[in-house]
Amino acid sequence: MERSSPRCEGAVAVAPADARPGSDAVVELTDVTYAYSNGFEAIKDLSLTIARGTVTSIVGPSGCGKTTVLKLISGLDRPSAGRIETDFVAGDTAQPVSMVFQQDTLLPWLRVKDNVALYYRFHPKRLPKAELKERVTELLAMVGLEKFAEAYPAQLSGGMRRRVAFLAGVAPQPELLLLDEPFSAVDEPTRIQIHQQVKETIARLGMTVVLVTHDLAEAISLSDNVVILTAGPGRVAHVHPIELDRTRPLLQLRETPEYLQCYGQLWSRLSHQINLATFGRAEVGTADLP
Amino acid sequence: MSKRLVIAWRLAILVAVVLLWEFLPQIDWLSARVTFLDPFFISSPSGIAERMWQLASGADGSVMIWPYVLRTLGATLVGTAIGVLLGMLMGLLLSSSKPFADVLGFYINALNSVPRIALIPVIILLAGVNFTTSVVSGVLVVFFLAFFNAYEGGTRVPAAVLHNATIMGASRRKILTEIRFRYVMLWTFAAIPNAIAFGLLMVVASELLSGAPGIGQLMLLATSNLDASLTFAVVVFLSVIGTGMLAIAERAKGRILHWADDL
Repeated sequence: MERSSPRCEGAVAVAPADARPGSDAVVELTDVTYAYSNGFEAIKDLSLTIARGTVTSIVGPSGCGKTTVLKLISGLDRPSAGRIETDFVAGDTAQPVSMVFQQDTLLPWLRVKDNVALYYRFHPKRLPKAELKERVTELLAMVGLEKFAEAYPAQLSGGMRRRVAFLAGVAPQPELLLLDEPFSAVDEPTRIQIHQQVKETIARLGMTVVLVTHDLAEAISLSDNVVILTAGPGRVAHVHPIELDRTRPLLQLRETPEYLQCYGQLWSRLSHQINLATFGRAEVGTADLP
Repeated sequence: MSKRLVIAWRLAILVAVVLLWEFLPQIDWLSARVTFLDPFFISSPSGIAERMWQLASGADGSVMIWPYVLRTLGATLVGTAIGVLLGMLMGLLLSSSKPFADVLGFYINALNSVPRIALIPVIILLAGVNFTTSVVSGVLVVFFLAFFNAYEGGTRVPAAVLHNATIMGASRRKILTEIRFRYVMLWTFAAIPNAIAFGLLMVVASELLSGAPGIGQLMLLATSNLDASLTFAVVVFLSVIGTGMLAIAERAKGRILHWADDL
């Protein structure tokens, strides 16, 4: 792992492995390894700290175990070795973690408003009905779907469905929101629009977010930190803080020299890992391409 | 092809068949040589229509078909309802529990490969010649049809949907009732038109075999009297009933599953 100044142009180390999750860390992974039952290791000795109130993106070559990291944090899977410590502030009645999946998780028989409120079907006593209704309306308005509250998922476009799935993850107001390539199947113009809405929603609700993505533009647009993993079994190769003007609309931001420079640096780091994964070395010429 | 043209063609084919059926057997040279053009065996559309009118109205001292229709319809609906319900519950149980699926699935597959019609005599022995026999015969086929659909639905709940619910802290019971059961219901409802068609088939078959009151019994009577007009009249009634029930079931399915885009 490299160490450098905490700006976009360089990489910084994550917290040392023996650090306890302090008040500023929501999750801390220490030397975590995950192996499938056939012995294949998806990640190995991965250490990562997710600071409270930040948005962290995880990128890396395909098969580097990005989704595995989310499954481990969410508790869906348990690590084969290493420690995962969480520090959730809220008590037993609050939802610590939500996850928005790459696959469609909307229930086709529920209207949009009921899909957004899915969590409260499982825990009906945790929020009075009137308050829930208000929250759902407010959330739908944040992503411009207030007119579709009564619609069924089949009546929505792909982009709208992704937004509803995102809101379903946000509705329980989790301390930690995990996003697993949630917008990868959406066309580019829609995706930028969704990014803008997601950025604003996250900022408004002050959630801690971990986003797995293969889209560097998405990572830069939404995150405070971008983590680049090595090829599988994944480890943390670099952590890049993103320090761009967050108040600007994303479409404008994406045209600024700072953004482009940041994109270039991240791409060079990522392609380094991809080349290592594909060709076994960092520098690749055109002769190597098929 | 435009919708009108399709309907026009359908009508044209129907009219052609009826006309050929009516007039070909009137050519003596043909009916004497070709068995299936002999009016004794195939009657004629006008003869069948007359017999149908008698059956419907009780004219000329004819037996009325309606009590028979009610019996068959009743047995079909009750048999289908019981079969669908049992199949759905069994599908839910097996799709939500691997041990159950491993143990019981074997027997369900084995039983499904038994030709059910061969079991009707056993049911007659057990239950006698009555309504129950017709209902049980219907259940025997509908259950498997509903079960396999329900099981498919229950096992096809997308993994991400289950993971999502798990992360949200849904209890096993909630996952069963709020998610898996809905998928099972969706797939079972999709099978209801087929279930009714097969239910009707088995009920009529059991009436034919046992002589239990119903349309099948009337058919048995007609064939044993070598009454071609009555046989065909009953067949036409039966197909109208079948088509009507299927149409209603399809509409009901469309209503219930109005939110589904791929059915």
